[in-house]
Amino acid sequence: MLEVKNLDVFYGDAQAIWDLSMTVSSGEMCTLVGANGGGKTTFLKTLCGLLEVRKGLIYLDEEDLISVNAEDRVAKGLAMVPEGRKIFENMTVQENLIIGAYSKRAWKRKDEQLEKTFDRFPRLRERRKQMGGTLSGGERQMLAIGRALMSDPKMLLLDEPSLGLAPKAVDHVMELIQSINNTGVTILLVEQNVNVALKIAQNGFVIESGRIVMHDKADTLMANDLVREAYLGL
Amino acid sequence: MIHYSILIEQMANGLVLGAMYALVASGLTLIWGTMKMLNFAHGELYMLGGFGIYFGIVTLQLPIWLVVPLVVIGIFIFALVLEKTVVSPLLKRPGWDVSAVVATMGAGIFIQNFAFKMWGGDFRHVPYVVDGTMEFLGVRLAWHRIYILVMAVVVLVGFWQVMKRTRFGMAMRATSFDSETATLMGIPYRRIYTITFGLSACLAALAGTALAPIYSVNPWMGMAPLIKGFIVVILGGLGSFAGAIIGGFIIGLSESFSVLFLSSGWKDLVSFVLFIVILVIRPQGLLGKKEW
Repeated sequence: MLEVKNLDVFYGDAQAIWDLSMTVSSGEMCTLVGANGGGKTTFLKTLCGLLEVRKGLIYLDEEDLISVNAEDRVAKGLAMVPEGRKIFENMTVQENLIIGAYSKRAWKRKDEQLEKTFDRFPRLRERRKQMGGTLSGGERQMLAIGRALMSDPKMLLLDEPSLGLAPKAVDHVMELIQSINNTGVTILLVEQNVNVALKIAQNGFVIESGRIVMHDKADTLMANDLVREAYLGL
Repeated sequence: MIHYSILIEQMANGLVLGAMYALVASGLTLIWGTMKMLNFAHGELYMLGGFGIYFGIVTLQLPIWLVVPLVVIGIFIFALVLEKTVVSPLLKRPGWDVSAVVATMGAGIFIQNFAFKMWGGDFRHVPYVVDGTMEFLGVRLAWHRIYILVMAVVVLVGFWQVMKRTRFGMAMRATSFDSETATLMGIPYRRIYTITFGLSACLAALAGTALAPIYSVNPWMGMAPLIKGFIVVILGGLGSFAGAIIGGFIIGLSESFSVLFLSSGWKDLVSFVLFIVILVIRPQGLLGKKEW
């Protein structure tokens, strides 16, 4: 599904991603974990086209993504739940969802998708007339995920969905991500909370200072002494 | 004691004036809201509206109902080109907040001088869009002023609905809140910017076509509405569409009533004092969000 080869990304002159390669197969739940400032968000932004690629290749379903504009990547089946949710606070919950279906193909089916989303998130249906800015952290995360799903993506990228949520809400969001994966959506979950991420993922990549330092089955990583020591505090 | 008919007449004048301020200011606030820039060529787009109607009616002898839409479409296209050539290359570059001001100011000076070369510096008279007067509650009102009021209300309400309900309008609001996240939704924010700039120009041009018959046309006619427009925008709250409309009517009505109760020399003083008082009480403007 997603294939990244030898990727280099820069902020000005500062290199943020070094020779990164990653493969995520169709239907998989994959996670990219690592400490703050390791380049996780940079990598996701690059996948979405918000940052320029200096060197390397990105393919989604055998199609070159680098030549596709950021705004056109949604139509290619890529959707992103950005860090900090980035809800449009000046728009209602319902409008936030509808704008998620902006791309041409999704727009035609937006009413149907909206119903589906409301069925999945009854809480959002209750609050559909409320402004996005009035929601709680957990509700915002649901809205951000619901909004990304409105485009009916093949692959969903999630940037730190557990950030700033209470433990109970984290469990809820992880269950949700699991259930989305069960409907056939390929998932790349970027997390600082290594423990919860490795628990639900099949495969994991560990990133450090912009380089992939380990990748393996999630349970193998979970049992790895280095990972346990560095990220799980065990 | 002032006769009530004068009161109503001045009220009507204030509403007409306010509607025009609202039209000019809503264009400015639209650009600020989405692109986070000030457009100093806005007054010149208004002026081009005035000259457009002069050119269409007097030079080409076209019927008025045809000229107004043609002028608006023409200025829409002109503004798209202006945005693409002057504004867009500077967008999101370092110093963007200042460079946009200088670039649009330069474009404004160019347009002003172009109009001066093309049509000269004389004050040109333009006939009313709708001739004649009507009587209402013993007050005589020119149909043209009623046309202005109705046109402005219809346009602003229509615009509001476009922003509220259409795919483009939602994309515009999303872009204005956060252009990066809008991109993640598949919204081509650069195109939204260009179209927003064009629509904003249409609002200015419409005001120009409507006021040209009242104030007559000359290359410098855009200055005053630009300054008034900025005042209205800041009064209403930068970036707030509803604020620009409310602010427009507040300034319009305050001016016409100060003409009535004091004298015409006082009108700017009264509106500026009102402006300062409101900003002292609410520094972010009437409907502006607190940003500091």
